[in-house]
Amino acid sequence: MNTLTTIDELGFAPGLQQDVLEDLTSDHALLEATRTGDQDAFAELVSRYRNQITSYIYRMTNDYDGAVDLAQETFVRVYRAADRYQRSYAFSTYIYRIATNLAISELRKRKRRKLVSLTGFFQPSDGGEAKELNPPDGRPLQDSELVETERRNAVQRAISTLPEKYRAPLILRDVDGRSYDEIARILETSEGTIKSRISRARGFLREKMRAYL
Amino acid sequence: MRKNYCEIIRRELDERMLDEACSSSVLEHLRDCADCRDFHQKQTKLRRMVGGIGTVAAPADFDFRLRARLANESNSATFHLQSTYWPFVRRGLAVAAVLLVFATGIVVVRKIINRDETVAIQPRIIIDPAPAPVPAHKPEQFTAANPPSSPQRIKNERPLQTNLKPRHPMAAIDFSSQRAEVINGLEAVGSTTVFPLDTSLQPFKILLDDGRGNARTISVPAISFGSQRVLRNANSFAPKDVW
Repeated sequence: MNTLTTIDELGFAPGLQQDVLEDLTSDHALLEATRTGDQDAFAELVSRYRNQITSYIYRMTNDYDGAVDLAQETFVRVYRAADRYQRSYAFSTYIYRIATNLAISELRKRKRRKLVSLTGFFQPSDGGEAKELNPPDGRPLQDSELVETERRNAVQRAISTLPEKYRAPLILRDVDGRSYDEIARILETSEGTIKSRISRARGFLREKMRAYL
Repeated sequence: MRKNYCEIIRRELDERMLDEACSSSVLEHLRDCADCRDFHQKQTKLRRMVGGIGTVAAPADFDFRLRARLANESNSATFHLQSTYWPFVRRGLAVAAVLLVFATGIVVVRKIINRDETVAIQPRIIIDPAPAPVPAHKPEQFTAANPPSSPQRIKNERPLQTNLKPRHPMAAIDFSSQRAEVINGLEAVGSTTVFPLDTSLQPFKILLDDGRGNARTISVPAISFGSQRVLRNANSFAPKDVW
């Protein structure tokens, strides 16, 4: 009688072995395990998505601490609703949808609270788009890294002035690199609407970032 | 025609991913059209800038804080219910408070309006040209005080209010212009039987006997209006019991 020393000696076909491993580590499988009380599976899901979700919410809200809180709330909701999760969509679509809803609701709360923002001072009284504060500075910058940082900040500020219906698809497309189809599913609208909104958002950004182009 | 074609090309450029290769027709158009070439360059640069802002990492204690949050939630069993229903309860309470304030306001306003109406309605004094007839079934009520000349009668009427029951008009007799008669305890007033009231300060006593030897005396003290006693003491020349 031969004794097996490694799992490879079982003689599974390489393709099948790979499929089984992928299935065990898929998001759906991890969530299924979370449902049965496997804390490690949930921890794995968190480690996969924590940076993406935090970054996405941060780009939406332009507030890091708030973004971390909302990202945690996103995972709490996923954990709580694990029993009700349906596998009809990808898990990433599901979690991004939750994150988007939380971010948009936070933006609306802020609008109701009428937080005073520095960019708000430069908003025209007729309710038009905010103009960014870009005071002309003729001095040469000392470092190319500073230039890059300043450019990133300007982009982030410009994104944060976009209306929320343009902001979310633009971030999902140009920052996260998601497909139109997935964005449409996350935002629960049609693909045509998403394309149109992204095009409008880029138009707005092009106007705001004219000095950098 | 050319403008429409430019729009089609720009839309195609807009929809493709940055790393995707352009089709030959697009490349051909970009070689010919300077506007679309400029648009393509600016759009590509913008998209690279937006894509270059990169991702932000979650804090190092993200997992720890999340575990603590989940543990905290599972410890408090009512958390879920509270977080789920508290907004609805809060809204319900707010609506109830608003309704309560509204109802209280209505009650207060109605009370104020009623009070104002009462103040605003002054009793109108209507002087009848013809004196109102004195009710015939009570002639003895006026025998002691009714002077020979008929007094001026004033009828006070309240204006009718729609929400009140109709009332009979009230009649009053004004005796202010007549001199009051002096009542002497020794003689009866008028021809009718009048209970002989003694206007002296002696108490009025009644003896009751039930026929079985039980007697009881009820003593009613004399009513003094004050001036009687003052007059009596002040004017010693006035005859007794006449004032």
